Formats: sequence, structure tokens, C-alpha cells
Amino acid sequence: MHLLLIEDDAEAARFLAKGLRESGYVVDIASDGREGLFRATEGTYDLIVADRQLPHFDGLSIVAMLRKNGKHTPVLVLSALGSVDDRIEGLRAGGDDYLAKPFAFGELLARIEALLRRGNLPEVTTRIRIADLELDLLGRKVTRAGAPIDVTSKEFQLLEFLARRAGQVVTRTMLLEAVWDLHFDPQTNVIDVHISRLRAAIDKGFERPLLHTVRGAGYVLRDGG
Amino acid sequence: MRLSSARLALFYAALVTVFTSALLLSVYLLTRNALEREIAAVVRAEVDDLSDDLRLGGIAQVAATLRLRADSWGRTGAVFLLADPDFRPVAGNLTAWPHDLAAGGTLPPESARVEFEISAHERGESVLHPVEARIEHLANGYWLLVGADTSERVGVLRRFGLATGWGIALTALCVWLLGAAYARRTARRVRDYATTCETIMAGDLTQRLRVDGSRDEFDALAVAVNAMLDRIEQQTSTLRTTFNSIAHDLRTPLYRLRVRLEEAQLRAGLPQDAYDLTAPALEELDRVQRTLATLLQIARTEAGGMTTHGDAVDLAALAANMVELYAPGMRAAGLDVALDAPEPAPLTGNRQLLAQLITNLLENALKYVPAGGHVRVSVRNTLEGVALSVADNGPGIAAEERAAALRPFVRVGDAAAFATGSGLGLSLAAAVARLHRAQLMLGDNAPGLIVHCEFPAAARRDAPNGVAQVT
Repeated sequence: MHLLLIEDDAEAARFLAKGLRESGYVVDIASDGREGLFRATEGTYDLIVADRQLPHFDGLSIVAMLRKNGKHTPVLVLSALGSVDDRIEGLRAGGDDYLAKPFAFGELLARIEALLRRGNLPEVTTRIRIADLELDLLGRKVTRAGAPIDVTSKEFQLLEFLARRAGQVVTRTMLLEAVWDLHFDPQTNVIDVHISRLRAAIDKGFERPLLHTVRGAGYVLRDGG
Repeated sequence: MRLSSARLALFYAALVTVFTSALLLSVYLLTRNALEREIAAVVRAEVDDLSDDLRLGGIAQVAATLRLRADSWGRTGAVFLLADPDFRPVAGNLTAWPHDLAAGGTLPPESARVEFEISAHERGESVLHPVEARIEHLANGYWLLVGADTSERVGVLRRFGLATGWGIALTALCVWLLGAAYARRTARRVRDYATTCETIMAGDLTQRLRVDGSRDEFDALAVAVNAMLDRIEQQTSTLRTTFNSIAHDLRTPLYRLRVRLEEAQLRAGLPQDAYDLTAPALEELDRVQRTLATLLQIARTEAGGMTTHGDAVDLAALAANMVELYAPGMRAAGLDVALDAPEPAPLTGNRQLLAQLITNLLENALKYVPAGGHVRVSVRNTLEGVALSVADNGPGIAAEERAAALRPFVRVGDAAAFATGSGLGLSLAAAVARLHRAQLMLGDNAPGLIVHCEFPAAARRDAPNGVAQVT
């Protein structure tokens, strides 16, 4: 996977690139808006990570110009402007995701992964299986090893979101955005309680846990480890 | 508004009518008096002349003088009659002593002023003329009547009265019409201004009051207000730029700090205790970042002119969503949470900020209400709009501390909660409420705290539109 990182802060760019490379991505760095736009237009990238405030062209203008030229490369916008309105504005401007600085590297990684794998699973799926856990998306029913599991509708939404991204790390803020449509961080870790309830529902009494906590990042639903 | 200016117009019309009437009435009375006095003076002069004649030449002299003046009726409207003691005419231009002054037995005294009508022949017709006269009882029993035709005067006064009446009526009508037109114009401009002000308060600082070039006092007001708005807009824009710079200049070093800490954590072979030392530092960093974000959010919300997307928000559904998010955490903390939102409660506003408001109230309850407590969230449609309240039976906030609790960085309650809270939750909630033209009120739930917020119906009608562009 080939990523373009447009970031004028050399220190941050170096760290992000290093982290991303360690995670197996090929990363090009552009240090201002003009270079970023040029590379994004000329090159073939799987994903672009663009800072919002850049010399020459800001991140949102780059997104706008790319879209105008018919380029649909997913763009993740990074910004030191983190108010709710900035986020919404960033997303409305055509960015595929928006992350406010400072963020945990794990958060960035999870979101990049989610953007890259987006669309891998056809939307019309009616059943998802992870090991012996089975989700019936039409009937909104969950079974594990054939035995029905009672979940509330929100728990089902949570589980569905995790199951559609089985094997990928999903962060708390991603869950807040997707399941509750909230684009800010509450002070307390409200999501953790939901996850532990969900874990109690699907993993309790089974030898192999499916819902795992990834330290410093979030959660992942996967078979084993 | 229109009512009061229309009433004012009516009041002025009435006032002008009263003054005009008084003026014209006094002119009328003065004119009538003057005319009457003039006639009386003429008559008295005639009587004096004739009295001189009587003294000099007796009745015969008077009769002679009267015969000389017999034709005076036609010229001056003067009326004379000398009658013997039995009221038989002797000389003069009246054919008979007026019936009603003689026959009835009510003989006039020595000298009296009388009014009667005579019939005169003019162009073959008999016309009645009012006459005002003096009657003198002469020394030798003869009667002398000297009078003047007042029909001219009566006519003048009638025309004058008519003109006065019409004048008053027309004046009243004109004043009323002008007043009503002016009142309507005033009301329209004030309404215009009010609408513009509402839009500005809803966050669109680019709006200005209309200046129609008439250079009247409204234009002067509009120009002054617009100048003030220019100033405010400029200040707001400076503030916004400042906030963005602060956000950028503080977040960037925080971000680098985080990057370095994370880099250290990711170093292969890091001992567990080194990890355990850096992890709390990262948490602390996150807290600083959250406080900064909240502070900036409060400042931007308060500064107005920020992007409040005019989303259609069902506050009941939003409250349900938030309660659903917090319920498991609250139950884990031993709190019982209930939602009372039986019907959709639509309003227009910024969904994320409204969610933040509810979040902050729920987090406060989570922080301050001890285990075993109850929290109740209710959303109701009221006549005025939508009412949201979050009530608990926790320690509450003392009445004298409530106003302070809404200000940034003020924390109430025990030290443990003090340590974890940023002290910004309620002030952000209050700022969000103000942005939606609502006021956050803290009350006594006896026991506990009730936070009440009533969003006006106006927030439903005029969507606060997005204006701020941050680049």
C-alpha cells in the first residue's frame, strides 16, 4: 500500500512516516501544499494523509482540487483545528476522514486501515461469520456456536461495526462516530463499558475470546490472539 | 409594535383635532361678538341721534327724521318705527309694531334689546329677516324702535361655522392619515431592524440594517448600528483568527510531545516500567488537549458567528441516543438513569454541540451523584419551544454557587471530583445553550440538581445558518 503524507511539520512527518513504514506501508512525504497537490495528482496513491494547514494550498483545497480532477483517492485530513465544526466542515469539504491533532498514532493507523479496506466487504452482505460467531444482519440476530445471544439494538450496531472490520483495529472515537454519530471526545471512557458488556455477551463462557482490546488504540474482533 | 405606533398616530390626530377646534371656536366666538357689538353700537348711535331730535324738536322732529330715512332699509338694513302709546305706527319703515312685542301684554321696559323677524318684499317674494332692535319708551308715552337686519351677520356666521366644522374634520382626517402612514412606515422599519437583528444574533454577522438614503433619524440609527456591527464583526474575526492561532500554536507542541512519547513507547525492548511511566503522561496530555479543545469550543461558541449548521435536530431522539450511550456506564457506577422523552421534539441547531451539551450534563451527574442516585433526562415540547432538563438527586449546587458554576474553571463539590473535572463542562453547556438562544438554568431538585434549558420556538423557525469560514 502506497501512502502520500502531506505535512509541513518535519518532526511530525518524520515520526508518522516512520510509524507507517513500520506498519508496512510505503510512504512519500510532501512538505507543502503545492508539492502535495502535484504528487497527489501525478502519482497513484492508495491513500493521502494531508495536514489541513499547509503553505500554498491548505488540505481542504487539495481535496477539492483532486475531486474536481476526478481523483477519488481517499483523503484523511489532519488538523490542529479540532472543534466539532472544523471536523464537520472537513468532512463536508470532501475529506474521507478527519483527525484532530494531537492524536494517538494508533488512532491514525486504525483510521488509515479502515479507509483502505473500505468497500472490501459488499454492503449487501446479510451474514457475517467470525469463527463460530454469526451475525444475521437482516434478522438482527447473533448466535455463537449455534446458541442465540441476546443483544440490544445498540450492541448489535457495535458488533456489526466491529464484525464488518474483523481483524482491524477500531478505535473508541471511530465507534462514537459510527454508532452514536458523535464527533467529539467525551471526558469519560463511556465506550469501554459498552465493549465490556458486549464482551460479556459474546465471549463469556467460551474458551476462545473474539473481542480483544488493543492497548493504546482500541478494539478488534478477530479469531484468536 | 405596530399597535403602539398606530395608537400614537390616533392620539396625535385627536390632540391636533382638539387644538384646532379650540382655535377655530375662539375665532368664531370672537367674530360673532365683534359683529354683534358692531350692530349694537350702530343701533345705540341711532337711538342717541333720535333722542337728540326728540329733545330738540319733540315727536314731530323725530317723525320727520324717520321719514327722511324711510328708505334706509334697502341701503343699510336699518329698521325704524315710532309708535304712539297704543303702538300705532307714526313714522318709520315698519308697517306695524311687531305683534309679539305688544299684544301679549308684556310691555317692554323703558329701554330693552329685542329680537324679532320682519317680512320684507324682495323681488315679489316675502322673505323673513331677523332683526335685532332696541325699544325706547319715550317720555311722552311714545315708543321708538331702532334695529338692524342681522340676516347678513347670521349668514356670515353660518358660513363661518360650516367652514370651521369642515376645517376641523379635514384637519383631523389629514393628521390621522399622515400619522397612520408614518406609524406604518415606522413599524415596518422597526420590524425590518428586528428581523435583521435576529439573523445577526443567530450568527450571521454579515447582515446589516437597511439604509434607505432618506437621511432621516432611522437612517442615522441604521448607520450607527451598522458601524457598530462592522466593529463587532471585525473583532469577532480577529478573535476567531486568534483562537485558530492559539489552537494551532498550542496543539502543535502538544502534538510533538505526544509524538515523542509514543515514539519512546514504541521502541523495541522498552522495559515495562518505562512504559508504565509514559502511559500516564500520555493520559495527562490527552486531558490537557481536551481542556484546550473545550476552552476553544466555549470561546468560539461565545464569540458567535461560528458555524452552527442549521441541522434539523430531534432533541428527544438525541437525548435518547445520549442516554443510551451513558446508561451502561452510569449503571456500572450504581446510578439509575431514566429518559422521559415521549414525542419528537424538533428544533434547528448544531447537533454536535447539542449532543455535547447533554454529554456534559450527563458526565457531571456521573461525576457528582453518589452510587444509588437517580438521573432523569426529560425532553418536552412546550408552548414556547422545546424544554430539556437533566435532574438528579445528588448533592446539588447551593443556590449562591449556581451562577458561579456556569463560569469557566469553577468547580463545586468535593475534592475528588474536583481533581478529575476540567471545570468547563457547565460553561460549555451554557455557551451552547446561549448559541441556541436558550438559557441554561440550575435549580434545586430537592434534593439534587436540576439543569433546565428551554429552547425557544424561534430556534425552530429561523435556522441559524452557517457563516464562519475557517481556512
